[in-house]
Amino acid sequence: MKKNRGKLIFIIACVLLSFYFLYPTYQDYKLTKDGRGLTGDDSLKYFETHDNDIRDARAKRIKLGLDLQGGMRVVLEVNTLKLLEDLAKNKDDAFNAIIAEIREAAKTSDVDIIDIFQRKFQEKQVRMSRYFGNIRDSDDDIMKRLRDESTNAVDRGMEIVRNRVDQYGVSEPSIQKQGSRRIIVELPGVTKEAEVRQLLQGTALLEFKLLIDPDIALKVYESVDRTLAGKPVNDSTATDSSKAIADADTSKTDTSSIPLPEDQLKASDKEKKDHPFFFLARPNQQQGQAWNGELFSAEGDRGKVMRVLEQPEIKQLLPHDMSFAWSAKPAFIAEGKKYFALYGLKARAEINGGVVVKAQATIDPTYNKAVVTMEMNSDGSREWARITGANVNKRIAIVMDNAVFSAPVVRSKITGGHSQIEGMDNVEEAKLLEIVLKAGALPAPVDIIQQATVGPSLGEDSIQQGIWATALALALTAVFMVVYYSTGGMMADIALMLNILFVMGVLAAFHGTLTLPGIAGLILTVAVAVDANVLIYERIREESVTGKTLSAAIDAGYSKAFSAIFDSNLTAFITGVILFQFGSGPVQGFALTLMIGIVASVFSAVVVSRAIIEILIARGVHVKFD
Amino acid sequence: MRFFKATHIDFMGKRKMWYMISAIVIMVGFLSVAVKGLHFGIDFLGGTELIVEFSQPPDISKIRSVMDDAGFQKAEIKGYGLPTRVLVRTEQQGEGTSIGEKIRTSFEKSFPELHPKVLQEQKIGPKVGSELRRNALFAVIFSLIAMGVYVAFRFEFIYGLGAVVALFHDVAVALGCVSIFDGLTPYTNFEIDQNMIAAFLTIVGLSMNDTVVIFDRIRENKKVHRSISLVDLINKSINEALGRTIITSGTIFVITLILFFFGGEVNRGFAFALTIGITTGTYSSIYIASAIALDYTNRKLKSKGATVAIQKA
Repeated sequence: MKKNRGKLIFIIACVLLSFYFLYPTYQDYKLTKDGRGLTGDDSLKYFETHDNDIRDARAKRIKLGLDLQGGMRVVLEVNTLKLLEDLAKNKDDAFNAIIAEIREAAKTSDVDIIDIFQRKFQEKQVRMSRYFGNIRDSDDDIMKRLRDESTNAVDRGMEIVRNRVDQYGVSEPSIQKQGSRRIIVELPGVTKEAEVRQLLQGTALLEFKLLIDPDIALKVYESVDRTLAGKPVNDSTATDSSKAIADADTSKTDTSSIPLPEDQLKASDKEKKDHPFFFLARPNQQQGQAWNGELFSAEGDRGKVMRVLEQPEIKQLLPHDMSFAWSAKPAFIAEGKKYFALYGLKARAEINGGVVVKAQATIDPTYNKAVVTMEMNSDGSREWARITGANVNKRIAIVMDNAVFSAPVVRSKITGGHSQIEGMDNVEEAKLLEIVLKAGALPAPVDIIQQATVGPSLGEDSIQQGIWATALALALTAVFMVVYYSTGGMMADIALMLNILFVMGVLAAFHGTLTLPGIAGLILTVAVAVDANVLIYERIREESVTGKTLSAAIDAGYSKAFSAIFDSNLTAFITGVILFQFGSGPVQGFALTLMIGIVASVFSAVVVSRAIIEILIARGVHVKFD
Repeated sequence: MRFFKATHIDFMGKRKMWYMISAIVIMVGFLSVAVKGLHFGIDFLGGTELIVEFSQPPDISKIRSVMDDAGFQKAEIKGYGLPTRVLVRTEQQGEGTSIGEKIRTSFEKSFPELHPKVLQEQKIGPKVGSELRRNALFAVIFSLIAMGVYVAFRFEFIYGLGAVVALFHDVAVALGCVSIFDGLTPYTNFEIDQNMIAAFLTIVGLSMNDTVVIFDRIRENKKVHRSISLVDLINKSINEALGRTIITSGTIFVITLILFFFGGEVNRGFAFALTIGITTGTYSSIYIASAIALDYTNRKLKSKGATVAIQKA
């Protein structure tokens, strides 16, 4: 008994851990089901009160693959040839002829386009510096740079895609890099192909836009707030306005906590009524500092804010040259909610991002801070000097596809086109800005090379069928085991159930994705799990025939069956690894569940069923294997 | 309960006959592949594929004429699971997702009363197709080699060879059966796609599992019974492991059968290949893997024995 106590505790810990990891999946199922029955205000209220729970459960549940829940999966590949074409200057007939030849060659070859490119230029004995870089650059220098550009293009493309997908508002999108040239985009629940194609393939638009002066913006926002609250619009209330902000801020003097349960509910209701706009979009004024012109809204409120600002009676309060844009990334996170900054911008861009020729994230040696340096071409530099000169101490937003990535303050007039942008928290942020700045000037042409759309109804059918098949397989196997191995079979069945639990638990713990072939993998796991038990029980039967006592036979059975279990499961595991390596998408899901299943089944057969059997025997229960 | 009391079947005695039977089955399968060809799935071919649901069973010939009019003369059109569902596929390539949209709009225009609804759409670029094909081939070859090396390392070289030949046999028989049954009934429209490759690799895994259990028995018995001949050793080992072999394989067989009938359209080809694979996997561990190990060792012994005999004379 004693030697099994440790094992028993370990097993129970595994079971509890599996339940812990699976709880969000159950929670998500329940919340979604409860919420579905409600309509109108009830539904709105339900989702508002359970917002945090739903988000939390969503993030931690077992994700369903696109083949089960429906949605789009798109694989994009950087079009290297197009990129090279775009990078070249002074294109002439000779250049176009070479490009055409490369295109032909690429059709029948698996060699990297860049290599073909290099070969063709060498064959024709054309110096690359005719089209790329400087006259003094050697071909090798240029090749190195082009290679870098082609690698960077993937990162650029990814950032452009991510930015657009974020704005498009897909829940749980997944954007991953595959290899050095591909981007896999998964959009659950989305089936509008034409829209998504637009979304993924257009060129990025980078602009520099001035922020509306905070003083003016504040007045505008206040009149919006008053109009929404139903009060008459009065422009001469500068004193009143600061009070409004102070009021709006009282509930959140401490930014990190915005608790709204019972006792505070009244205060928040009042605030909602008195300052409906500032309730949604908060001017987070820091004490003793001038307001910087940004409003902050929770992720889920952004749509509401934009709808308010589009209303005709609100629109007439806004200056005609005012436009709005959200920050691309959350400005801060409080109470598990992401808050985004809303910027009031001049509608007309001061200058277009095409003038940027170079951007580089570095560490400023003097202050040891992450900065981004930016260079513009000569036309751009002239314009930039004028713009920065006229707007010293004002903020200029760097906007890509209508999302603000940074809004630095102009310190002084910048002549010569060399600018330095500061204020990044870390190198990653600087790197992101570098990518964004480059995206305006250097395109990242991508092609859709693979696309799959699954409607939700097909997925639901598949889940139903999968659940039925698994249940049937499980039930038949379980009954058979009991009939054939009596008490031993029952232990095997317990191990089998735990096995399924462990597989699901591990899948949840690693945020795995369940696909349709994954369900097939789960069903096969049942088979694999049974095998280990069968091997052991057959061995125990053989050993008992030789006249051993039951517990001696059990010992011998387990130890003699182990080498077979080990070797046979390891070989099966190796095929799983190979499949995972070479397969893609759903097939990987199959390989993953199969691999987890193999490990779990060895554990549940060798450790779990044995511990249970030994404990039963120690308690004097008559265990039979016939 | 017990199906098998201690058995004493002479498995190895009839191995020559089973070699022949295996060879014939594989030949028939290859013949079918040669004559009927294999239907590759969209992921290996490249092109665009749509699964469309209509409110009522549509007229396939009318769909064909609609597709012809839309410029997809060589399109493949077939039923998909339910009579109201149709799969259309063309190997033509277009920019982005334009082909799918073209098919969709021409369906909507031509069958407004049947409310066509696209359940699933897939587009695979030509390069991706060839890449996936290559990866699939690599995966199968690589897994065969890995298994052989593993067994040769854990047991003896000849066992590794026997195991690999057995695995090759299983995959070949499964492939042949897929080709033979493809299109025979409305339920057996099989394609060689990524799922099918996953099935082949699973067959490799399961068949290996079975082979290893028998080899493990041979390894163990060899230590205990040093004096008995190799034929008797192998026969004894197979007989001892027979109960387990039948129970495990039987369970897996029933499970894959359930998957075949109730697992849904997507998993059907996969389940079919597995059902065949588990059968041949069980058979091949005995009549291919073990038998080859026996014949090879016998031949080696014979040539050695011959030299000994000459010396004596």
